[in-house]
Amino acid sequence: MNLKFIFYFAWYYGIKVIVRGPSYIIASLATPLTLLFVVYVLTKGELVQFAIVGGMITLIASIGLQSAGDATFMRLQLRIQEMYVASEVSPIDYMLSMTMSFLAFSIPGIIVYGFLGSYYHLYNFYTTLYMMFLIFILILSTSAISFIISSMVKHVRNIWGITSILSIIMTVIPPTFYPYTYLQGKLGTNGLIYLLSLSPATPAAVSAQIFFGLEPWNYAELMTMIVIMIVETAVYFSIAKYLTRWREK
Amino acid sequence: MIEIKDIRKIYHGGKVAVDGISETMDNRITTLIGRNGAGKTTLLRMLSTQLYPSSGTALINGYDIVHEANKIRKIVASIPQEASPLGILSPYEQVNMYLLGRRFSIPDARRAANEALETVGLWDVRNKPSDTLSGGMKRKMFVALALASNAELVFLDEPTTGLDPLSRLEVWSAIKKLSGNVLLTTHYMEEAESLSDKVFLQDRGHIIDRGTVKQLLSRFSGRVRVESHEELSHSFRVGGIYVKYDDLENSENYIREGKTVKKITLDDLFIMRGVDLES
Repeated sequence: MNLKFIFYFAWYYGIKVIVRGPSYIIASLATPLTLLFVVYVLTKGELVQFAIVGGMITLIASIGLQSAGDATFMRLQLRIQEMYVASEVSPIDYMLSMTMSFLAFSIPGIIVYGFLGSYYHLYNFYTTLYMMFLIFILILSTSAISFIISSMVKHVRNIWGITSILSIIMTVIPPTFYPYTYLQGKLGTNGLIYLLSLSPATPAAVSAQIFFGLEPWNYAELMTMIVIMIVETAVYFSIAKYLTRWREK
Repeated sequence: MIEIKDIRKIYHGGKVAVDGISETMDNRITTLIGRNGAGKTTLLRMLSTQLYPSSGTALINGYDIVHEANKIRKIVASIPQEASPLGILSPYEQVNMYLLGRRFSIPDARRAANEALETVGLWDVRNKPSDTLSGGMKRKMFVALALASNAELVFLDEPTTGLDPLSRLEVWSAIKKLSGNVLLTTHYMEEAESLSDKVFLQDRGHIIDRGTVKQLLSRFSGRVRVESHEELSHSFRVGGIYVKYDDLENSENYIREGKTVKKITLDDLFIMRGVDLES
C-alpha cells in the first residue's frame, strides 16, 4: 500500500478542494440537514436524536457513494485512471486515495453533526469512538461500492443518475432517520432489516441506535450488525479489488 | 525495446482492432501513424498494460505485457488520448501526486515535478488551477508528468490532437526533452515528420509500412502529387478529388492548367495504398 500517494491524493483532492470549491460541501450537507429538519418538524423534535445520528451516517455513506461520480469522470472523461493503470499505482491505492479524499472532504459535515450531537448530549468518550469506527467503516464500504459501480458504467452521464438513486436507496430508506424497531416484524422478525443491510448504512444505523442508547440495549443485535458491517466491507472491498476492470479485458 | 509478437485484439461484438501485428520498435522516438479507427490507441493501450490482448503478446524491455505487467509499469509512463487534468488542482500538485504514486520519495517528487514543469515552460503557472490553463499548457503538463517520471519508455497517445499550430510546436518541443524512448500515435503527418526516428503506418489493424521518414519518402523521390477536381489520366479518386503522381519536371505544366501541385508528404504513403484519409 502506497500511503504517501493516498495521503497526498487526499490532501490535494480532499482538503484543498474544500477551500477551492466550497459549494460541493454545502451540496453534500443539503440532503441530511433537510431530512433532519423534516424529522424535527414532523415528530415535533421527538426523533431528532435519531436524525442527528442518522444524518452523520447518511452524510458519510452518501459522500462515499458520490465518489463513484468522480471515479467515473476521471476514468471516462479525464482519462486519468488510464495513466495510473500504466504505473505502479494499484487499484487499492487508487480506490483508497479516492476514499480518503472524500473522507477529508466530509470533515466540515462531520463537524456540523458532531456539534449537533454534542448539543443534544449524544456524545461521550465511548459513543465518540464508536462513531469514528462507523465513519471509517462506512467510508471504506461505500467507496468500494462506488468503485465497483464506476468501473461498470460506460457513459459518464449515467453515473449522476445512478449515484442519486443509490444514495437514496442506500442512505435514506435504511433506518437512518427513524428507529430501526419500526422495521421489526416485517419479513419475519428482522427480515427487512437484514435485506436492507445490503446497504452499509443499515447495520451502521441500527448499531448506532443501540450503542447511543436511542433504542433499548440489545447485545446480540449490536454484535450481529457489527459483524455484518465488517463482513460486507470485506466483501465489497474484495469485489472492488478482484472483479473491477482496472486493466481492461 | 518493444517486441510485438502476433498481437491481436478483438472487442466484444467481433470488431477486430489489431489484427496480428509483429514488429520490433527500438528507436528513440517511434510514431504510429494512421487515420481514426486504425487501431493505434488499442495497440498502445495493450503495450502500456492497460488492456489485455485477445491473443499474442509483446515484450517491453524484455518483460511480457501479459504476465509481467507490474514490472513493465515501473519503467513506462502512458499519457492517454485527450487526457485532461483535474481542473481544480495545479500542474505542480498533479505532477507531484503522480510521482508519489510512482513511489518517488517526497523530496524527490517535489524536485522532479519542479524541474519538469520548468523544462516544459510551465514554471510561471505551476501553482495555478489547471482549468485556467490553455489547451497547449494542459498537454504540456502531461508531458511534464512523463518527463518527471523518468520512465524508460513513454507512450503518448495523440498528444497534440485539437491543439493550435503554436501549441503543437510547444508540445513537440517538450516531447523532444523526454529522456526515455517514446512511442506516440498521431494522425498528423507533420507531427510524425517532425518528431520521429521511425514511423509505422497502421491501417485497419495492420502495420502496412515502416521506416524512417526519409526512407519512406525516398520512394517518391523526384515526384509530386497533382490534385484536381476533374479526372486526370492515370489518376485515382481520394475523397472528393482526383490525385496522381508525376515527375517534378512536369509541375509547371500542371500549374499552368490550374491543377494543384503538392510536395510529397507521409500522407502520400496512405494515398498510394488506397487509404482514404478524408473518410
